[in-house]
Amino acid sequence: MRAPIGFRIRNQRKSLAISQARLAKTIGISASYLNLIEASKRDVGGALLQKIAKSLELNIEQLTGESEQRLITDLGEAFADPIMGEVNLSQSEIAQMVVRSPKMANSFVQLYRAYVDSNASNQVYSNRLRADPLFSELLHQVLSQVTAIRSSAEILETVGDLSVQESGRFLASIGHESRLMSDVAQTLIGHFDQTSQNRRSITPTRELDDYIIEEHNYFPLLEDAALSLRLEIVKFNRFDENALLEQLENKFSITLKNPNEKKSAKRNIDDKKKNISTQFEYCKKSKTVWFSGTSRASTRQFQLALLYAQLSVGDLIKAQSNDPFFTLGDTKKLAAKYIASYIAGAMIFPYDEFLQDVQDSQYDIDHLGQKYTASFEQVAHRLVTLRQKEASGVAFGFLRSDPAGRLTKHFPLPGLLLPNSGHACPLWAIYGAFASSEPIVRQVVRFADGSRYFFIAKTTSKRLSTFNSQRMNSSVMLACDINDAKNIVYSRGLDLENEDSDVEVGPSCRLCTLKHCVHRQEPALYPV
Amino acid sequence: MTLDILIAEDELGILASLDFILKRAGWSVQSVFDGQAAIESVKKLSPKVLVLDVMLPKKSGFEVLKHLRKESESKDLPILILTAKGQKRDKELAKELGATAFITKPYANVEVVETVRSLLHKSKDIQGLK
Repeated sequence: MRAPIGFRIRNQRKSLAISQARLAKTIGISASYLNLIEASKRDVGGALLQKIAKSLELNIEQLTGESEQRLITDLGEAFADPIMGEVNLSQSEIAQMVVRSPKMANSFVQLYRAYVDSNASNQVYSNRLRADPLFSELLHQVLSQVTAIRSSAEILETVGDLSVQESGRFLASIGHESRLMSDVAQTLIGHFDQTSQNRRSITPTRELDDYIIEEHNYFPLLEDAALSLRLEIVKFNRFDENALLEQLENKFSITLKNPNEKKSAKRNIDDKKKNISTQFEYCKKSKTVWFSGTSRASTRQFQLALLYAQLSVGDLIKAQSNDPFFTLGDTKKLAAKYIASYIAGAMIFPYDEFLQDVQDSQYDIDHLGQKYTASFEQVAHRLVTLRQKEASGVAFGFLRSDPAGRLTKHFPLPGLLLPNSGHACPLWAIYGAFASSEPIVRQVVRFADGSRYFFIAKTTSKRLSTFNSQRMNSSVMLACDINDAKNIVYSRGLDLENEDSDVEVGPSCRLCTLKHCVHRQEPALYPV
Repeated sequence: MTLDILIAEDELGILASLDFILKRAGWSVQSVFDGQAAIESVKKLSPKVLVLDVMLPKKSGFEVLKHLRKESESKDLPILILTAKGQKRDKELAKELGATAFITKPYANVEVVETVRSLLHKSKDIQGLK
């Protein structure tokens, strides 16, 4: 609803103490015509509106009410928030508020935005605190020290016949525990100082992680969209690379460039500059897709599904990646990429059918890969998202490492700390997979707090190798709680109950509390 | 002589005061510092009650609990879990694994003494039944 232009002209004219006759003369119309405009009985626009705006020292947006309209929309959104409780303002009441007190309305909107931002920020912080292993470890130490102090103090207070040696012993214990507690408190303060300094640089990866954990790694809206897109593809064909190409041509007039043709000159130069060799290219201008001759069928299918999703449901991807949860611009870009890949994955592996196959094969990833023309990594990726409440698979965490040991991709598993960058514990199967001749490396690990997990890892390559294009190896690892391991084919032959053969590990050297680990490369963040 | 109480706790400050208050209440007490030793000592010493911390080196208190409940000699042993992890989830897990009682740190000494006393009674009843 717009506040009328005439009303605003009259208001501003009066506030500048200009008579109707004088303004009419300045803008070159009769006073009676201006009267009709001010009474909203005549429309006004174009050159005349510009003249009026100039004479009344306003810009066109202020006169036409565009900025007011935005304000009305923003206020409407604010008053629709459940926090406003019973305050039900009608659209016309909101419009009146904007017309009568625009500054106040604007301040209200600013205040509401600050509230929404601060809520989003609180959520990010509380998620982080919940998942922070150092914080949890230090709190545990504090509680243990408080227990020792309290218990010793009670003995000194309530036991009347303590010997001098006994009293001395408990006093010494209180002194010792208090000193330890001071050290812990200082580490905590240091940690929080660092956290607040890091506030501006919360990494986008970490922010996206928080979001994925919050949503339990399952997005019903994206699943629905993926299913609809899959139906478009399989309407006439089965779901495969050719069907995707056919539908891309039908729907978007996109064709496949001959694989023997070179990629576009620009991309060629870009790639040479960056010293990389791409597997796939989509040229918007010529509406063509191109694949390298060394690309695998699984890569081609996935890239085509991804492109189809990006072109078909771009609005949905954009809307989801603009979730108020994301406070950093870069997170939105990262989220858009993640969401598009999620949809592509869900198109290739439709939830119900895939879950059934997964359970039938007991999570045999290579078997599933053959059935869905997918790589080990793509299947592992999809397994992580089988988290629908009513029909869920095993909860997995996911990690990918390059041959130098650097972690290049990860999806979290609540409870297990998977480093999101740098290096994990060198004992993890993800690193062993590079050196192993076994197709799959299996490992039962135990952390210092006694928690046990089952890890499986495999080295994979995204493309076929030739003399000129080297293999691009990476190691992919899935992690699940030990209690779920019995449902997985890879645990066959392992004595899961026998903890003596567990591999003792940490999350990474900095966060590890193992006291005498010979593999330690870096000192721990807190005393062990 | 039969042992009344075995304590499995690795925090020395807590262990010293637990040892003192339980001995002062008139019971015989021995201590171990890790989960593996707890399992071995239960087998060797057959205590009437086990006071078990959760965050123990080598084997966590929960793993010890799980292990002991599988063994026929210790399946009925009264076990008091002591933990700084007071969340509902941990209490539920302790209960699920067969803990007889659960106390969250920091506790009052009298709470530990009274809980152990009731567990010793329970142990007596179980022995009586046998």
